[in-house]
Amino acid sequence: MLVAPDRGRQIIRATCPAAAAEGLHPGLALADARAQLPNVAVADHDPAADAACLDWLADGATRWSPMVAACAPHGFLIDISGCAHLFGGEASLIADVVTRLGRLGFSATPAIAATPAAAMALARFGGRRVADLPLAALTDLEPVAVALRRAGLKRVGEVAALPRAAIAARFGEALLAALDALTEAVPQPLDPRVPLAEVMAQQRFAQPIATADAVRAALERLLLRCAVQLGARGHGGRQFSLALYRADGHVWHVTVETAAPQRDAAVLLRLFDERIAALNDPLDPGFGYDLVRLAVPVTHSLDESQLGLEGGQLADTQLAELVDRLTARLGRGRLRRLARADTHIPEQASFDLAWDKAPPLAPARLERGEPPTRPIRLFDPPQPIEVLAEVPDGPPRRFRWRGQVRDVAAQEGPERIAAEWWRRKDGAGLTRDYWRVEDGDGRRYWLFRHGLYGRETDDPRWYLHGLFA
Amino acid sequence: MPPVVRLLPPPRAPAEPPARPGRLPLDGGAIDAALNGGLALAGCHEIYGPAGTALALMLALAAPRPGPILWVAAPFGDEGRLYGAGIADLGGDPARLWWVAAGKPIDMLRAAAEAQRCAALACVVVEAGSAAAVDLTVTRRLQLAAAASGVFTLLVRAGPPRPSAALTRWRARAAPARRLAGNAPGPPRLALTLERQRGGPADIEHELEWDRDRRRFLPADRDLRVPQRLPVGAAFGRRATPHPGAAPAMAAG
Repeated sequence: MLVAPDRGRQIIRATCPAAAAEGLHPGLALADARAQLPNVAVADHDPAADAACLDWLADGATRWSPMVAACAPHGFLIDISGCAHLFGGEASLIADVVTRLGRLGFSATPAIAATPAAAMALARFGGRRVADLPLAALTDLEPVAVALRRAGLKRVGEVAALPRAAIAARFGEALLAALDALTEAVPQPLDPRVPLAEVMAQQRFAQPIATADAVRAALERLLLRCAVQLGARGHGGRQFSLALYRADGHVWHVTVETAAPQRDAAVLLRLFDERIAALNDPLDPGFGYDLVRLAVPVTHSLDESQLGLEGGQLADTQLAELVDRLTARLGRGRLRRLARADTHIPEQASFDLAWDKAPPLAPARLERGEPPTRPIRLFDPPQPIEVLAEVPDGPPRRFRWRGQVRDVAAQEGPERIAAEWWRRKDGAGLTRDYWRVEDGDGRRYWLFRHGLYGRETDDPRWYLHGLFA
Repeated sequence: MPPVVRLLPPPRAPAEPPARPGRLPLDGGAIDAALNGGLALAGCHEIYGPAGTALALMLALAAPRPGPILWVAAPFGDEGRLYGAGIADLGGDPARLWWVAAGKPIDMLRAAAEAQRCAALACVVVEAGSAAAVDLTVTRRLQLAAAASGVFTLLVRAGPPRPSAALTRWRARAAPARRLAGNAPGPPRLALTLERQRGGPADIEHELEWDRDRRRFLPADRDLRVPQRLPVGAAFGRRATPHPGAAPAMAAG
């Protein structure tokens, strides 16, 4: 029995069949239920876990048709248009669904109808014909239901027989919309859980496969079949998702993405190898997979290319493949490139972004013969240091960093970098005076004084912002 | 910054060294002679020392092959992050630097192995720190992969030297740079020690100056780094520092 708090009381949300047989039903207070059955087992109702479980079931249901939508709170819809014959007709498909759900410990009420709403209503209220459904299938608003009852209507078929204008006028537009949903008046597309892929290949196994080698061989065949389909369209895939349907209902998904459109089965197989090797929890085949499906949800045009004589194109291809392999192995965002922002603030001027997000950089122009003015390593945030200077606004003479005192042997500065006062309403922010300094051992540092002495602050603090070498 | 008048001449540029194929010449002198013409590009080289990052970056920029530099690093500790503007200031193009932020040492090594197979890369830098996962076997693997594909591989390490199959082992620390006007530190200068070389002489110490305009090293001339007494405020009011030791003692605490 599952209970959830409601206005200070524990209310029953769901019961097991045994409890239902004792007269406990959802909506009853837990105290009343305990009065009837003192030893009843009680657990907290967890709607999120319910939804996750339903999604998991709906994922597994994609074995029957790619168009599956979870339908909260306890249903899912499978669009079996054109799929039923693969399973020997609608009746045996339904039997397969119920058997598989039964093996997982779920009891299911199946229904097949021409529209999703009708299928859900038939599954909920039973019966075989939409016209025989009770009025509760049309509306759950009490005033409308009362009005319908007063009009002497009992079945959906009776309402449907009335003139449409009269229904709208007496019972409201919402009832008409609900009626249309049950009959075939308007198209009702499903919102599939997994986006439909144009290019797809799958293989069923009468005897479930469990070894990694068998899965790999199946994947290779599917990749070749997808490659043929892609080649016929002149396309290459950017994303390939492999779904492994375990015989006991669980589905493993493995997805690889490529930087450039790709349809080379050998390269893709290697990417899948990398991805599977890098998974945190290895794929557990359980009792084996009885269906393996490869879908290519994202495709781009990819023409046959001829290798250039000078090999430039070959290098590009090699680099693109390296990017794909590193991304598949380490995950997205691990491979990074440096990007530049148009700002004077040093820590914001240069940063790193994921490889595919970073825009190309324009090369910087350098003054010939000048030393570098920016460090190789930057501390973000800057590290506070203690500095001794002859005068408060003079150059640093000696500083203490990480517990060590370093004498300044040479320095250059200040390079004054103002805060971005135009970005801040109060115009606040302190000016920084940057110094390039070298200590007695030759190590070079980038220090700054935060705030102009006497104008912005009386006690400027010093920071070490970067290391040159 | 406005350009300032530099008082001291740059070090003598040696005549362009005769480019030996597959070798990266360093100073055109004693080091190159010991290395048989320069660092072998198809090989793995180890770098220790506080200026390891700087030396790896400079060597990667000096490598002749075009293409990206793949920098594989375990997440940075407190050593700061690689700074694009600083790489540009060394004469490199920050866009050439690809950086792999590996979460674990094993990921770092896998990424490095993957990268070493890609002959389109200019250089692979593995910043291993003091990771215990980098043992003799790993270095042998890195060396073999570098020799097979010809990808210049640098292994930046920390801590005490450990057994390794790399071709050379270097120790890099910063050396005092030559002084420019107003006692400003000049172009980066590194003190390099060739601590070990497979099948060759070792224990050679030399100072090199990085020439960012030509992206190569120059032999540092020791005479040039003697601090010169410059007039106070030689350039926009800077103070020359005659003697570093003349600074007042730091207050305790």
